[in-house]
Amino acid sequence: MSGGLAEGRGDAGFARHANMLRQVARQLDDWIAAQNREARREGLPTIRSCHIRVVGQTALLEVGVPLTLVATRDVDVTADYESAVEAEFRRLLRMKGRELNPLGHEIWMPRETRYSMLHAGRSVELSVADPEAVLVSKALKAPDKNLALIIEYLARGPSTRFLTLAKKYRINLEQFL
Amino acid sequence: MSEKNSDLRARAKARHAHFARRRRDPRYQRVIGRFKAAKLLITNDEVPEHREPITVSDTLWAGEVEPRLIELLPAAILKKPSLFVDIESLPHDLASVVGAIRRHETPPPLRGIPGENLLHWVPRIGHRGKIPSRLKSFRFTAEDLALLAELSRELDLSETETLRQALRKLAHASDVNTASDRE
Repeated sequence: MSGGLAEGRGDAGFARHANMLRQVARQLDDWIAAQNREARREGLPTIRSCHIRVVGQTALLEVGVPLTLVATRDVDVTADYESAVEAEFRRLLRMKGRELNPLGHEIWMPRETRYSMLHAGRSVELSVADPEAVLVSKALKAPDKNLALIIEYLARGPSTRFLTLAKKYRINLEQFL
Repeated sequence: MSEKNSDLRARAKARHAHFARRRRDPRYQRVIGRFKAAKLLITNDEVPEHREPITVSDTLWAGEVEPRLIELLPAAILKKPSLFVDIESLPHDLASVVGAIRRHETPPPLRGIPGENLLHWVPRIGHRGKIPSRLKSFRFTAEDLALLAELSRELDLSETETLRQALRKLAHASDVNTASDRE
């Protein structure tokens, strides 16, 4: 069974968005380093390191899955950052024309989700959810909104992992057909 | 590949062909291109951006393939009306949604998209955080109107802005919290 989500789409549209999150994570790391230098000089508490996990359509865009993707400018993440880091992350995303979804942390993801590290810096780790887990989340929680996407994926030949997860979470794939 | 999965894939291919045809349709391309240019949507597809106005009917049609268009449509009509050429004659269901948002109410679902999801985009499109103002009529005496005109001149504010400021001052004096106090 194919389910070849590893090979990227590789067109100009994708190229514009690829690596956006890596750049933002690097900038966020630099910002935290500068804030912490300042805090140490003044004997104040430093900002603790954080892990940002990207889910949703942005995760699919970022890894360049070979599916037709249409996304709003929202970036959905779950993260353990402090509010000052969140505000800076929001500002950096905005500079790239993206918006941090305030409800992103409410998005359900399967327990089996694998996250690949896009950036492992001194204070910021940023990883993206694997495409199959994102598609399972979409198929279960928002089937109508993602009908065309799921159909395209099924037409390409779903991976064994996707089918296993779909079975585990009782997703009725017939509803898409 | 099992026979069952092979059948699933074959049927998915047939449905995908239908969506792929629609995506190649000039109406879909025009709508997506306009939403991309307005920075409302991002795609990994080679759809050319443009700034020509589009029709609401084409957007609703394209929304059958891409429901995110439906989700954004009411907010786009209210906050970026220049995107469209025909917002004066909206279909009944869309007009109800737009009307409810104008009245600051949660709108009914629109073509499968829950009202809360439609509302979510209103403060996030165009002027950030801004929700469309609502028309409300009052009857004033000649004396009230003269006072409003006088205050408006003195403060160099529009009459609407004068009333807004007067309301906030009254709320402050009466210890009533306004929405901006609560934020």
